[in-house]
Amino acid sequence: MHPSENAITDYVDGTLDTTATADIDRHLESCPSCRRLVDDMREIKGVAASLELREPPIRSWTRLERAVTLEAETRSAQRAQSAPPSVALHAQRAWRSRGALGWLAAAAVLLVATGVGLKLILSTPPPSTARTAAPSSTAPNASANAAAQSVEAELRQAEDHYEKAIKGLEQIASAEQNVFDPKTAATLQKNLAVIDQAISESRAALRAEPTSEPAQQSLLESFKAKMALLQDTVSLINEMRKGNDAGAAQIVSGLKQKGD
Amino acid sequence: MTAEVADADIVARTQAGDADAFETIYRRHAARIYTLACRMAGSADDGEDLLQEIFLQVYRKLGSFKGDAALGTWVYRLALNHCLDYVRSRRAKMNKLTETLDAETSFEPQAPRDTPIARLDLERAIERLPDGCREAFVLHDVEGFDHKEVGQLLDIAEGTSKSQVFKARAKLRGWLKK
Repeated sequence: MHPSENAITDYVDGTLDTTATADIDRHLESCPSCRRLVDDMREIKGVAASLELREPPIRSWTRLERAVTLEAETRSAQRAQSAPPSVALHAQRAWRSRGALGWLAAAAVLLVATGVGLKLILSTPPPSTARTAAPSSTAPNASANAAAQSVEAELRQAEDHYEKAIKGLEQIASAEQNVFDPKTAATLQKNLAVIDQAISESRAALRAEPTSEPAQQSLLESFKAKMALLQDTVSLINEMRKGNDAGAAQIVSGLKQKGD
Repeated sequence: MTAEVADADIVARTQAGDADAFETIYRRHAARIYTLACRMAGSADDGEDLLQEIFLQVYRKLGSFKGDAALGTWVYRLALNHCLDYVRSRRAKMNKLTETLDAETSFEPQAPRDTPIARLDLERAIERLPDGCREAFVLHDVEGFDHKEVGQLLDIAEGTSKSQVFKARAKLRGWLKK
C-alpha cells in the first residue's frame, strides 16, 4: 500500500520518526512511482528554498515617497495646532527638502485611492454570480438588474478616479517632457497612443453593451496600464533629476519592452 | 554601533522627519517584502500594491517599534500579517463566487522537463497555484515555517497545511517534471 499524502509530505520534510521513515524507505525500494514522486518533491522543496529575492520596480519607491511626503505634511499640519511652530515646521521641511517630489503628493493620493477602487471592483462578483447569490424568494430579475446597476455605478466611480489621477499625472509629465531625449519621448508617445486606442475601443464596446464584463475589465485594465506608464514617466523624470543614469536606463528599457 | 542601536537610531531619525532614514529602511527591506507579497498574492501587480500599503503601515506604525526584535523582523511580521489579511479577504470574496479555483491551468516551463527545475520556472509556476495551496506552499517551502506555524498563520489545521503543501508540490511536479 502506498504511503498517505501527509506521510509523503512528512517524509520529504524529514519530520517522520525513525520507524515511520524506515517503513517508507522499504516501500520506496519496491515502488518506482513513489520513489520518483519523493525525488521530484524533494527537488521542488530544495529549489523553492533557494529562490532569489525580486527587486521591486523603481517607481515603487517614487510612489511611496510621494504618499509619505503627503502624510508627513498632514501630520505636521496637525502638530502645528498643538506644538510650537518651529517643531512642526522642522519635519515638514525635512521631507520637502528632498527636491521636487512634494508637488507630486496630490497625485499620490489619487493613485492609492484608485488602486483600492480597482481591487474592489475587480473582486466584485459579476452580475451573473450576484444573481446566484441572491435570495431565490425575491424577484430574480429585479436583483439581477440591481446587481448590474451596482457594478455599472462602481465602474463609473472607478473611471472617475482613474481619469482624475491620469489627468494629474499627464499634467506633470507634460510640464516636464523637455527633459526627455527625442527617442525616449517618441517611445512614451507610442506607448501612450497604443493604450489610448485600447481605452477608446473598450469605451466603444461598453457603449454598445454597457453590462459586458470583458469590456468593463478591458477598460479598467487599460486605465491601469496608462496609470503605470505615467507613473514610470514620473519615476523617469525623478531619476533623471537625481542624476541616477542607471535607474533611468532601467526604466527606459522597461518602456521599450512594453512598446515592442 | 550595534544592530539594535542602529535600528533605534534609524527609527528615531525617521520619526523626527528624516526622509533619508525612511528611504534607508525601505532600501534595506523592500526586496524581501516585495518578494513575499508577490508570492503570497500570486501576481507582481498585487505584490507592488501590497508593498506600497505595507511600507505606509511601517511609516505609520514605527512609533510602536520597541526594539525587542530587529527592525527587519518587525517589518517582516507586519508585512506577513498584511499579506495574510489580503489573502483572507480575497478568499472570503472568492468563496462567494462559483467554484472556479481548481480549474486546470496550463503551464509550459522554459527548461526541458527531464532537466533540473529552473528557479525562474518555479517562480512563474508558483503564481499559477490555486489560492490556499499557494499560500501554504510559500509559507512552508519558501519562507521556512513548519506546518504548525503555517496552520496558525492561515487559520487551518496542521494536517490541512500538510495536504495543501502536498497538493501544491504535486501540481508543480505535474507542470515542471512530468
